[in-house]
Amino acid sequence: MKLPSENPVRIFVALTALLLPMVVNAARPVLELEIRDHLFYPSVLKIPANTKVKLIVYNRDPTPEEFESYELNREKVIMGGQKAIVFIGPLAPGEYPFFGEFNPKTAQGKVVAE
Amino acid sequence: MLLTSVILVLREVLEAALLLSILLAMSRFLALQTRWIYIALTAGVLGSVVYGQYLGTVSELFEGMGQEIVNAALQFTIYGLLLLIGVLLILNRSGEARYLQLLQWAMVLAVALAALREGAEIYIYLIAFREQAELLQGALLGALIGGGIGFSIGALFYYLLLGLPRRRRLICALVLLSLVAAGLCLQATQLLEQADWLPAQQPLWDTSGLLSENSVMGQLLYALLGYEATPTPNVIAAYLIGLVLMVTLLISVWLKTRMPGVAVDVYV
Repeated sequence: MKLPSENPVRIFVALTALLLPMVVNAARPVLELEIRDHLFYPSVLKIPANTKVKLIVYNRDPTPEEFESYELNREKVIMGGQKAIVFIGPLAPGEYPFFGEFNPKTAQGKVVAE
Repeated sequence: MLLTSVILVLREVLEAALLLSILLAMSRFLALQTRWIYIALTAGVLGSVVYGQYLGTVSELFEGMGQEIVNAALQFTIYGLLLLIGVLLILNRSGEARYLQLLQWAMVLAVALAALREGAEIYIYLIAFREQAELLQGALLGALIGGGIGFSIGALFYYLLLGLPRRRRLICALVLLSLVAAGLCLQATQLLEQADWLPAQQPLWDTSGLLSENSVMGQLLYALLGYEATPTPNVIAAYLIGLVLMVTLLISVWLKTRMPGVAVDVYV
């Protein structure tokens, strides 16, 4: 009858191990990006590598834009004057270009994970 | 503006055009009337305008994740419809004429939903030009060219399928439908990751050096097979589950309804 007495400890350890990532997740970094005159500000966005971040994209233009990135596997339409939340990462260190699909000639930027 | 429009519209149209061509070829295979295509396209265009008009509102649902959730739900719904269409095609493979009404409406709905999801983006893109008359012309012309190329590729697929011997035609169409369907599961899962409804993961591999998603071939394979250069484990799992589920179901229906060899061979 030794085993049952160990169980609460084991359960506690197991639960901590399970919940810890959630606590870490809750504190994920928030970054902001603006679209003005079909340009991204800032056009280079530095984020910590291997971490999930919450990206808030404000579209200050009256026209819609689509935040798009093949490298980040993200696409989201942002209507004129609206903001959008896009979760990105965890990313290995490196550069990940993104662009505005409606104005790809000017709206260009990249995420740098380091 | 011209080139931007061409690329944007082509990307959006390709998927719906491929789906349409496979289903249209199957309608011919079953000697069904192909009038449903007009209903599907009309519904798709009207749906695009309505969805596009309300996308701003939809986006604000689910704590700002409405766009992802609605689009993922649309993809899963189309997947379910393709499952149903596949089964009904098999049940009708020797001219049994069973559930034809249901089959036609499933085709209408699948094409209409595929068209409206992508069409809404085109609508939003084009409507932004209404006050920039000098750019509107280029944008519209580009859209026409892009749409034209997309539907031409669809037409090419349609005639390729019709050119096959009868029995192989059905099998080819079912394989293509299963791949398109698995691709929909992949896209929906990616959207749920984007919305943070599924846990974030690092991609398992990166084949962008080999074949960029940005290339013409990459886009075509994306529409046809759900090609993804940097898939996460969740996305791969969704693709495989979607594919295995559909293929298993179709094979079991096929085997259960096997006709005496003679009846099928007459058409070959």
